[in-house]
Amino acid sequence: MYTPESTQAAAYQLVNSVTSPMDQFKCSVCSSVFANYDSLRRHYDTEHPHDVAPVVVALHLNGKHCEIVVNPHWTFQRALQYKFGLTGAKHMCDKGVCGSCTVIIDGRSVLSCTTLAVEVAGKTVQTVEGIAADPKWKPLIDAYCKWDAMQCGYCTPGFMVAAKNLLDKNPDPTEQECREALAGNICICGTYPRHAQAILEAAKEIYKGGNA
Amino acid sequence: MADLVGINGQRENFKVVGKHNLPGKVSYALASGVAKFGVDYALPGMLHAKFLRSPYANARVLSVDASKAKALPGVVDIVMWDDPDMIALKPPGPFGPTRPWLDNYADQEGIEVAVIVVAEDEDICEEALRLLDVEWEVYPHVVDILKGKEIDAPLARPTDPLFHGKDMFARLVDEPKRGNVSRAITVQGDVDKAMEEAEHVLEYKLVLPTFASHVPNPPASVAQWFDDPYTGPNNLHIEGAVQRRDSVGRMYGVPDHKTFQYGIFQGGKYCDWGMRRSQEITPLLARRTGRPVRCSEKREEAFDFLMNQRYIYMKIGFDKDGLISAIDDYSIADGGIDGNASFGTANDQGYGPYYTMKCLNIRQNMDIVDSNRGKMRLSGQHCPFNWDSGTMAIYLVAEKLGKDPIDIAKLNLHGPDSQEDMRPVRSFDECLDEGRKLMNWSWHASGTKKLPDGRYHGAAFRYQICPRHAFSGYNCKLEFRNGQIVLPTQGPVTGIFAVECNAMVVAEELGVGYDDVVVEFNFRERFTPVGGGSDGSTASAWAMKECANILKKQILEATIEGANNPPPPSFFGPPPPANPFKGFKVEDLDIVDKMIVAKDDPSKSLPLAMATMDHLVATYSGRPPAAIWSLGMGKMLDTMNTAYCEVAVDPETGEVEVLRFGVVADPGLVLRPTSLESQIDQVMFFSQGCQLLEEYVYDERTGVRLNNNMIDYKKPGMLDVAHVDRKFVETRDGNAAYGASGVSHSMANTHMVVIAIHNAIGVWVDPPATPDKILKALGKA
Repeated sequence: MYTPESTQAAAYQLVNSVTSPMDQFKCSVCSSVFANYDSLRRHYDTEHPHDVAPVVVALHLNGKHCEIVVNPHWTFQRALQYKFGLTGAKHMCDKGVCGSCTVIIDGRSVLSCTTLAVEVAGKTVQTVEGIAADPKWKPLIDAYCKWDAMQCGYCTPGFMVAAKNLLDKNPDPTEQECREALAGNICICGTYPRHAQAILEAAKEIYKGGNA
Repeated sequence: MADLVGINGQRENFKVVGKHNLPGKVSYALASGVAKFGVDYALPGMLHAKFLRSPYANARVLSVDASKAKALPGVVDIVMWDDPDMIALKPPGPFGPTRPWLDNYADQEGIEVAVIVVAEDEDICEEALRLLDVEWEVYPHVVDILKGKEIDAPLARPTDPLFHGKDMFARLVDEPKRGNVSRAITVQGDVDKAMEEAEHVLEYKLVLPTFASHVPNPPASVAQWFDDPYTGPNNLHIEGAVQRRDSVGRMYGVPDHKTFQYGIFQGGKYCDWGMRRSQEITPLLARRTGRPVRCSEKREEAFDFLMNQRYIYMKIGFDKDGLISAIDDYSIADGGIDGNASFGTANDQGYGPYYTMKCLNIRQNMDIVDSNRGKMRLSGQHCPFNWDSGTMAIYLVAEKLGKDPIDIAKLNLHGPDSQEDMRPVRSFDECLDEGRKLMNWSWHASGTKKLPDGRYHGAAFRYQICPRHAFSGYNCKLEFRNGQIVLPTQGPVTGIFAVECNAMVVAEELGVGYDDVVVEFNFRERFTPVGGGSDGSTASAWAMKECANILKKQILEATIEGANNPPPPSFFGPPPPANPFKGFKVEDLDIVDKMIVAKDDPSKSLPLAMATMDHLVATYSGRPPAAIWSLGMGKMLDTMNTAYCEVAVDPETGEVEVLRFGVVADPGLVLRPTSLESQIDQVMFFSQGCQLLEEYVYDERTGVRLNNNMIDYKKPGMLDVAHVDRKFVETRDGNAAYGASGVSHSMANTHMVVIAIHNAIGVWVDPPATPDKILKALGKA
């Protein structure tokens, strides 16, 4: 059962299970596991001198300080899935076109499939799981569900993140402003008219009484 | 009103069915990013797998030296096409040729061929693939089906030249294949004689574009084998093969009870039910390596067709009023993957748009051409897209005679029972009446209306039957458990909100609210509200309605039994409320607003949750009566739909703006309006995309498809799509629950916008009607 409460709890659990997965310093070439980063680094120097060693990236993810060891060529979307177990940022176009992998980095909507994980070092990141876990944004989730602003649902988290970022900046958007803010998100199922409807309704609820 | 054989099919008062804004049963998981699709799964210690993909459109792998790849650190396994494990693998489905599951022959650029690599991560897989030393034998290719049709054309599939598209529907001509061409023909009446006697004859060539609409979620699976103290050794856990768990299990000889899967989210399907190799291979690789294995596809590896290319050469004979008396339709169609001429091609001959007309002389002659164009395991959309040959015929006749195409359509549409039936079709007439009002319909001849801003105005209209199948039966189950109504289902979740329609019907029949029906997704359950077309929501809802009434009877019987023979008092919890139904009969009781009540004395009541502590299970296996559509294939008519569009064409820039779409459809009865509206929008946006934006581009020299990605292949976005005005007529003439019927993809079209463009500028432009083509058609480029 995916009730509003159980789903919010699941998102909260995902967000809070993310710590610093540095307890496993695994070589991505041969899968050897080491006790710490220095040992892993020395292993690369001696065993895989022609491979680029992973690097440590520290960031604030959904309100938590985290550190990951990641290959420098990994995208942030890939790091979210494999290092943090967060799959809300979806892999669809892999070319920065469809918006399904949208996350908020330092207050801006960013496509995680064309952002390297190393670029996120020191930054503040919010993913759809973080938004869904925060009771403040429940009206946005509610409105999306009430208006069927999804069909297959694969692209929906990307829309949700872009919608939240719009409301962060503009608590009282017009329908056209909603459309423009979500213009970078592709929904193959064609749910487009539903999003503005949901965002406008949610904005009223979230900011009622002017409590932005 | 249909649904004559079902329980409560004639119900007049609805409390749940037809309500707006009831959230989907899994919507919260989708909106919050908690839902996991196949590509999202990762298991501890898992390996990754990648196929070798052909850089050539038509080639065979002669040999592979994998020594360098095997020596690469992190490579765990490399499996070739001639490995005994691979040879033993058989595809689970009936489609396509009987070639090996993984062949050393590639009939398309980018298709999986000959080798699969398993490694610690995807990067190592790709590096290993680059290190393979592959010897190729490259053959000439066919990506232009008009050239491929010629007798001296190179063979698109030289390894399998005699293969005819195996299709469960196609009426192939029993004759040897000529080069790449199989032939299908369907004839009714004497077309040549009728054409000769016709007052007017028109000829026209129609191009149906290849259209992507790929699934949003890249196909992927992850599998592992495990031992279990209850089920024993060699259990298979596979994610990403939703709804095909059992068939993948069968590929590996694993019985159903030992095949596990927890994911229910399947992503978008759009009539694409074909499994991909990435979803079938992981159990083999996991068995060989002893570790979990994941295999996923990149977007460009899964940029598949929804509809194959087709050229239609139409010849129409008609009289001075516009009554069509002869149709001669010759098509050249892309045979699709592996020569499979499935739904999108010859099958259309069986129920094409022409059979909705009074015209009794119809010939459909099709050359199905093997090609090296596309990648799709189960080929193509069917009637919805190809329907527009009929739309075009009506428009051409109207244009020739200076008449409104709606009048021509009305003149030509036959009656409810047969092509000889001259009576009107109620659903069609009601849709048209509402449609004229909705659009403020005022027909004008092509090129004669300008908007105040100088752009040309054009309009178009089309109609379709509401095709729904009811071929499939449904194994329904409902439980009354701990005072709750439970609807168990295996899913899958594809976005059609079918299980929600089921829950609404169950709530209606059991006198409870929508939220009171608990939907439990469990891969072990048999009920799946899918079955082709709109069966998913309407026909399955009919079967679930029957099941709900079986459960209702059980609940009432148990309630009366509880009154007649009260259970001993429980030491746990408060005493139950008094059961006032001693001596009652089932027919004396009803369930209203979650209360069991005496029909003749509503003051006698008992909360449903307190009715019984028995665990009641009701099952029903069956389906609604066959739909008129499936019986008559267009020769009988009941529920129909109409669509309209208005465009503005800028003669200076060639830009086309769809000013609005209008839809008046008869779904029999609206079960769940929120998703119905959304799916109507979807189908209009599909249509807009394939007529204005979307097109596959091939390099003729190499056979390589150049735009397998979302940058170069343009799908419509938020700011591209037009407004859709919708109105629903509810004749209740469908075959499913309460006389409902499917509509869904029957409104997808390839030519309504194109016709509106012609109506605006008086010149034909083939889809996609991009500005450069418009300007060229206007003689400005």
